[in-house]
Amino acid sequence: MKKGHWGLIVLAAILMVSFTVSPALFAYEKRDGKKIIVYGERQPAPNIDPSQFYDWSTRMLQQALYDALLKYVGNPPRLIPWLAKSWKKSADGKKWTFELVRNAKFHNGDPVTAHAVKWSFERTLALKKGPAWMLLDFLDKDGIRVIDDYTIEFSLKAPYAAFEMAIPWWYIMNPKVVLANEKAGDMGQEWMKDHSAGSGPFRQKRWEHGVLYELEAVEDYWKGWENPKHVNGVIYKIIRESSSLRMGLEKGELDVVAGLNSEDFDAVAKNPNIYVTNDPGWTTFGIKMNTQKGYTKDINIRKAICYAFDYPSMIKIYNGNAILEDSPFPKGMKGYIPVPNVYRQDMKKAKEYLAKAGYPNGGFELEYVYVQGLEEERQIGLVLLDNLAQLGIKLKMVPLVWPNMVARASKVETSPDLMAVFTTPIMNDPDVVAIQYHKDSWGKYYGSHFYQNEKVWDLIQKARFTADWNVRKSLYEQIQVMIMEDAPEIFGMLYNRRWAFRKHLQGFVFSPMRLTSEIDLYPLYIQD
Amino acid sequence: MKKEGDVMDETSWLSRWRAEHESQIRSFKLILYTLSRSPLSVVGLSIVAALLIVALIGPLILTHPEDIKGAVHMDLKLKPPSRSYPFGTDEMGRDIYSRVIMGTRLSLQIGLIIVFVAMGIGIPLGIIAGYVGGWVNEVIMRITDIFLSIPGLLLALAIVGVLGPGIKNAMIALSLVWWPGYVRLVQGKTLSLREEAFVESARSIGAGKLRIIFSHILPNCTSPIIVKASMDMGMAILFAANLGFIGVGAQPPEPEWGAMISVGRNYLPDRWWMATFPGLAILFTVLGFNLLGDGLRDVLDPQSRG
Amino acid sequence: MGLSMKRFFVKRLVLMGITLFGLSVVVFSISRIAPGDPARLAAGPDATEEMVEVIRKEFGLDRPLIVQYGLYMKGLLKGDFGRSIRTRHQVWEDIKNYLPATFELVFVSISFATLFGILFGVLSAVYRDRWIDHLIRFFSVTGVAVPMFWLGIMLQLLFSAKLHWLPLGGRLDTMIPPPTPLTRFFLIDSLLSGNWVVLKNGLVHIFLPAFVLSFPALASITRINRAEMLEVLHKDFVLNERAHGLPNRVILFKYALKNALIPTLTMIGLRYGWMLGGTILVETVFDWPGIGYYAVAAAVYSDFQPVMAVTILLGLNFMIANLLVDIGYGYLDPRVRYE
Repeated sequence: MKKGHWGLIVLAAILMVSFTVSPALFAYEKRDGKKIIVYGERQPAPNIDPSQFYDWSTRMLQQALYDALLKYVGNPPRLIPWLAKSWKKSADGKKWTFELVRNAKFHNGDPVTAHAVKWSFERTLALKKGPAWMLLDFLDKDGIRVIDDYTIEFSLKAPYAAFEMAIPWWYIMNPKVVLANEKAGDMGQEWMKDHSAGSGPFRQKRWEHGVLYELEAVEDYWKGWENPKHVNGVIYKIIRESSSLRMGLEKGELDVVAGLNSEDFDAVAKNPNIYVTNDPGWTTFGIKMNTQKGYTKDINIRKAICYAFDYPSMIKIYNGNAILEDSPFPKGMKGYIPVPNVYRQDMKKAKEYLAKAGYPNGGFELEYVYVQGLEEERQIGLVLLDNLAQLGIKLKMVPLVWPNMVARASKVETSPDLMAVFTTPIMNDPDVVAIQYHKDSWGKYYGSHFYQNEKVWDLIQKARFTADWNVRKSLYEQIQVMIMEDAPEIFGMLYNRRWAFRKHLQGFVFSPMRLTSEIDLYPLYIQD
Repeated sequence: MKKEGDVMDETSWLSRWRAEHESQIRSFKLILYTLSRSPLSVVGLSIVAALLIVALIGPLILTHPEDIKGAVHMDLKLKPPSRSYPFGTDEMGRDIYSRVIMGTRLSLQIGLIIVFVAMGIGIPLGIIAGYVGGWVNEVIMRITDIFLSIPGLLLALAIVGVLGPGIKNAMIALSLVWWPGYVRLVQGKTLSLREEAFVESARSIGAGKLRIIFSHILPNCTSPIIVKASMDMGMAILFAANLGFIGVGAQPPEPEWGAMISVGRNYLPDRWWMATFPGLAILFTVLGFNLLGDGLRDVLDPQSRG
Repeated sequence: MGLSMKRFFVKRLVLMGITLFGLSVVVFSISRIAPGDPARLAAGPDATEEMVEVIRKEFGLDRPLIVQYGLYMKGLLKGDFGRSIRTRHQVWEDIKNYLPATFELVFVSISFATLFGILFGVLSAVYRDRWIDHLIRFFSVTGVAVPMFWLGIMLQLLFSAKLHWLPLGGRLDTMIPPPTPLTRFFLIDSLLSGNWVVLKNGLVHIFLPAFVLSFPALASITRINRAEMLEVLHKDFVLNERAHGLPNRVILFKYALKNALIPTLTMIGLRYGWMLGGTILVETVFDWPGIGYYAVAAAVYSDFQPVMAVTILLGLNFMIANLLVDIGYGYLDPRVRYE
């Protein structure tokens, strides 16, 4: 080879090496003296309009950009005043009055008044999207009355003891800003997808869809900051694969990640620069069965399935970070009791029930529908497949995107035989779980079993409209036992909610009301 | 009709068959000989042969046969390669070696079906286009152009995205991606053959269209078709693995290589074995078919290149 | 440009137009055979029936197919690709965001593959049967057979996870803001604004994805260039020998290369198409925010508008690339006539 050729190759090699050797940048970066942290997560938030949409990634950003009248904090969760400094309800539970703080300001300086509150509620109700479902049955726009600049009154169509529980999810927007950006009478929906009109502790900075969202702390936030070392900025970075999330955390490019698999959480916990928080959650996992159609219509077959399933395998999938459900209600919630004689694997009993149903050797196929890409649900399905094979029942694994699953669950004819569902109660009241087994929930994803039991429904209705907790308590005890007996689903487990933080990032407070990977950014601070 | 005096015994039937097909037998032997001269083609042929053998005897060489049917052993999950588990275990405690072996059978089936369906659609259309000519030819070729203007994987993604995930839908999608290639190949050949002297003479003595097609045109197309088919086998299997990786191909608990890599990816970098071995299987399979196809082309159809 | 070339050009454009139209029909038909209810998808998990109907009207999903296609075509001509159900943005907006990333990646990859493909092919032909030839031939044979996504994962494992030489994915480090958007190609923009930190970071990030994306193309181009070079060199070398003159290496070389490039160019064009498809895989593995990933996310979500849009756009891009290849022939070989 000619000399010149070699020279070129050496030059190329030098260039390549010089490019690759670069110091890893550490997150929690000091940019102009400000402390910015990076949160790594898989799910993007394409629409942050509080009236249009919520899921865990979206709500995390909404909670930072906006305020609501009340807020959930802590575990066990408490409702604390936020934009409202006090509130009271009438004896019949139909009238709620909130008194607002005087010093709350929107990001552009406008004061947060009762008018803004009324407008925000009206907007969400009118658009009928996002959180609207929580109050649509109880609240009309005519029921919202501004008493004075800082007092607002809600008159419900029917008494609802849990009204205050929904309030933290109804964020208050600045009508002036939203209407200024309205297009063709859309009430600002287009603009609000990636802009905000809030009063919260953070404001928007960079917003790059599919890549990252940057939040900047509002230093003169009206409520103030508890800790002078609070984070000055948060970058919510979208990283789609597990190994990137993990590596980013280990390298220090990310300060906090959610959504690692169990193996990765265990591995990073060993890293001296990382700590993993581990709290029992209230998110239940259940495999709901269609009680009105197909083979699963027969309670004997459902019981056979419940007795065939290898429950402890779910704990193994989570490497021990989960507890088995022993009631339709999550452990720790108000009104929960451990139901006696809960189903556990017993092949003999399973075969007995199967024989009772007339299929002693199985010989049919069932569909298991789960969320595409969700490892844990896939693995649980494979365990069930193995279990049912021993009964002679074939299981067909059908991964779908979540909205498709919801679509199928909306009608009894299309609702799957078996559907994997995680449900998080968004209020600390047993009604929010019990109602899932009521006719009103038919067509919703948590009602995909189309469960029918008039006696249980009566009890649920009674408990809903009673004010006396002792009465409600005993009603809910009966409800739990009766639902378990009917076996409308395989009652699975509650998994521990975990986040992995770098040691310098402190202040995390777990609240079971927050969805999946959602964390409250407000109390976070840097410990140097 | 058995005539008096006809002695129909085995040997005479065989030797008669041999005599009738003497030229074909000779060319087949020539093909094998020429192939064996090129070391790469030998490699390709041996790989393909090995794959076929593995696919056929697969169930016999498994170390843990129950693992391919869906058995799970949560206590054995994510173990590194060892004597009893040569490729390690996966996230459900299943033996990866056994699953890779069964994946061979699955992949070969997938490849065969895709190529055969594509040929089944493409070859007749190509012959019709080339033979009939005129506006029929124009229409068929335009439609072929349309399909060929979309990058294959993207078209397959669009079709599977709409039909839903699953190996059946993936095969449908990939067949739809592959048929145009055969139309082009066959149409060109048919067009040129149509003007050949021997076709003219066949026509002049009154041979019907079908007869001409089957006895004159089709046999002359077989060489390029065989070459293309063997190259396509490898590519079809690769594309099926691509779709499996994205998540729209084979579904659990099918032991499809692409899907296995997709799951294995979640367990990197510690459990490298889950993603590595299925990938090597894909590499060898596609390599084998590519080398074989190359070799066949040098032997059967040396004018066409690239 | 001669008259025949102009005529060829026009004819090709017309043909392209027809093909594009046919493509839109095919793509539209594919999108409408979807099972399931797209309106419900869009409305979200907690929607009531009325909310679903609102969405259905908004997206025009309740009209007959022909009308839907008509509306779709009308929109296409205006540049309106509809709205993504998943992101709730206008598809053209999303594409505007994601397209530059993909094309930056594809251009770097195809340049890399072409440059080095030709280089290696030449090297391999010139130093025939030496160790470098064997090495190059080995890679060019296996290169086409390697599954792109697997190669990406393995290289990530080695260079990122184990050696920490290269980043795992993305276009830039989190803390580095993108350069002032002019072309939205990070490499060009940072160069133009003299932002060396961003340029270096961008190069480091694009290296692995571009390498992986270019790999099969590199292999094919190398192979065919080598084969063509060998054929031409052999022919002319023999010719020269017969003429009893010393072969002038340089002239021979230039002439051989020019001739070899013609079939090579075809391969480049073909491989470009496969590369466009390959972005689906590479962008997924390397967290590259391009339209390949966008199309996958949409397809998995049964969100058909983006998939249709991406298919048509990339189809158009491929057609243009083929046209350029054909024009390239004209410059390489003046004997080529345009019918």
